[in-house]
Amino acid sequence: MKLAFQIAYKNLMGAGLRTWLNVAVLSFAFVMIIFFNGLMDGWNQEASRDSIAWEYGQGQLLHENYDPYDPFSLEEGHGVLPSAIANEFESILIQQGSIYPDGRMLSVQLKGINLDQNTLKIPTPILKNSEADIPVLIGKRMAETTKLKEGDEVLLRWRDINGTFDAANLTIAGVFDSNVGTIDNGQLWMPLKKLQSMTGLDNQVTLGIAKKESNYAAIGGWKFQSKETLLKNLSDIIATKKISSSIFYLMLLAISLLALFDTQVLSIFRRQKEIGTFIALGMTRQQVVGLFTVEGSMYSLFAIVLGAAYGTPMLWLLAKTGIPIPAASQDAGVAISDTMYPVYGFGLIAITILLIIIAATIVSFLPATKIAKLNPVNALKGKIQ
Amino acid sequence: MDTEKVIKLEHVTKRFPVGEGEFTALNDINLEFAKGEFAGLVGPSGSGKTTLLNIIGSLDSPTEGKANIMGRNISELTHKESAHLRNIHIGFIFQVFNLLPVYTVYENVEFALLLQKKTASERKKAVMEALEWVGLTSMANKKPAKLSGGEGQRVAIARAMVKRPDILLADEPTANLDAKNAHAVLKTMKDLNKELKTTFLFSTHDEKVMAYLDRIVHLEDGSVKEDEIITHQNTEL
Ligand SMILES: Nc1ncnc2c1ncn2[C@@H]1O[C@H](COP(=O)(O)OP(=O)(O)OP(=O)(O)O)[C@@H](O)[C@H]1O
Ligand SMILES: [Mg+2]
Repeated sequence: MKLAFQIAYKNLMGAGLRTWLNVAVLSFAFVMIIFFNGLMDGWNQEASRDSIAWEYGQGQLLHENYDPYDPFSLEEGHGVLPSAIANEFESILIQQGSIYPDGRMLSVQLKGINLDQNTLKIPTPILKNSEADIPVLIGKRMAETTKLKEGDEVLLRWRDINGTFDAANLTIAGVFDSNVGTIDNGQLWMPLKKLQSMTGLDNQVTLGIAKKESNYAAIGGWKFQSKETLLKNLSDIIATKKISSSIFYLMLLAISLLALFDTQVLSIFRRQKEIGTFIALGMTRQQVVGLFTVEGSMYSLFAIVLGAAYGTPMLWLLAKTGIPIPAASQDAGVAISDTMYPVYGFGLIAITILLIIIAATIVSFLPATKIAKLNPVNALKGKIQ
Repeated sequence: MDTEKVIKLEHVTKRFPVGEGEFTALNDINLEFAKGEFAGLVGPSGSGKTTLLNIIGSLDSPTEGKANIMGRNISELTHKESAHLRNIHIGFIFQVFNLLPVYTVYENVEFALLLQKKTASERKKAVMEALEWVGLTSMANKKPAKLSGGEGQRVAIARAMVKRPDILLADEPTANLDAKNAHAVLKTMKDLNKELKTTFLFSTHDEKVMAYLDRIVHLEDGSVKEDEIITHQNTEL
């Protein structure tokens, strides 16, 4: 085996340009696989972090009649949190309403939140310090669509517990900047007490955000969604995106493996006399097959070394400066920032290295099996078709 | 021990499939070669010289008959056993040298010893000695492409001889050499034959080679026509 490596090494070094062309393409595929997956992993990590910080907390306790995907369930989906656990949750009340920026009607969700909370990153101190009658926080996306800015007033209409319409002017107390679109688009954040009194839903909440990690199995009238469950949806979405983004580098990998396969077929054809000589010198056919296989898989070792040489500084730089994400892709449905920072985990790198080596070895082994059936006399004459 | 038969061929016949039928390249060959012989197969093109050398070298096997090399019937050997037989006991020299192009002269010669798993110091000693035999110690680090034809064939001799095989098979070793180089190469081989008692078996049409041989086996159409022992008047050989 050591001998095979020595021979293979010499052959590759001797083969010159063709070797380096194969190695370069393969190394590019190697670096791209790590980069794209690192980007997705970085996104996933950041999205998870942001979603926990802005939306999920340590899990959510939903009223059993509330379905986050059905706005009509808001009407019935609220209740009083059981007192035994009430202080373990941050209360959120959600109601429907509409605002009229520039005279256009826009449906919104009114979200009441405690002003002293520090479970979510929603900057509630701004609400607390506001003198306005109905102070409201909105996110940057909402500010953009409504063209509202801090200090603006706008007409709000909502229905109270009896179904009667009410209207009043609200004041934008502040605009926050969050990567999590779902707490931003179409959302108005306001003091919980205010919303409860406006709607006549005193003490009523739609959901609670867990302050600490714990397992709330069965609480009458409420259903608990753990942080992991909530994050799973997010990971699933990112996993789907991972697959679609893999097309690019898988094609790159396929091209480089095809080039390697081609090189192997050609080199076995061109080097028949050499193969015959190896056998005449006392190598078994299996040893020669091993030799050519090692030679092919050695391309992958070179590619990994080369890829590491230029990939490490390149990927490190990209991880440090981040990748700017065009505004158009901000509607990804998953928390996404203006700049993504790839994260290259040890597992990702190890698996990619393994993948490249195994793929290169298989692609080199297949043509080499031809040698096992070779007649050395014909090989020495260079007569194999 | 000088009478030990290293090669014993009994009724060796080789047929090749050709189209629908068969072509008989060797027909009932019975020959024996003793340790230390310096012999040659001579005959016109197509008479079966290379075919016979390939069988003796266990690169091919007879269709009928028995080829006993170093006491082993080569038809009964596994791939691994015949590889081992070649590695330890048989050296090949080809018409077109067949040196490994990416290797230096030194590494080409060393190769068989690597297969034998000799230690680095054993290898170094043997390789340098073999290069001395052929007068190429100064070329040790050159690549084959940089060598002249005569030098290339001498490297091939060193490579075949470095493991001190019992049998050395040389298929038209001088065909690509000019007269001066041919004589130098043949002289080297004759000296090695005397010194190491290696059995040399050539295939050739070359008069220059025949002048060196102690025994000439004439082949024609795959049969032995004459088996001639030469007694040299000329003692310089
Ligand atoms: N694989 C094969 N298939 C069919 N015929 C073959 C094969 N190998 C050799 N022959 C035939 O067997 C005969 C002997 O061939 P061989 O190569 O042994 O001759 P040779 O004496 O070495 O000739 P030369 O002096 O030209 O090298 C030739 O007629 C050749 O065409
Ligand atoms: Mg021949």
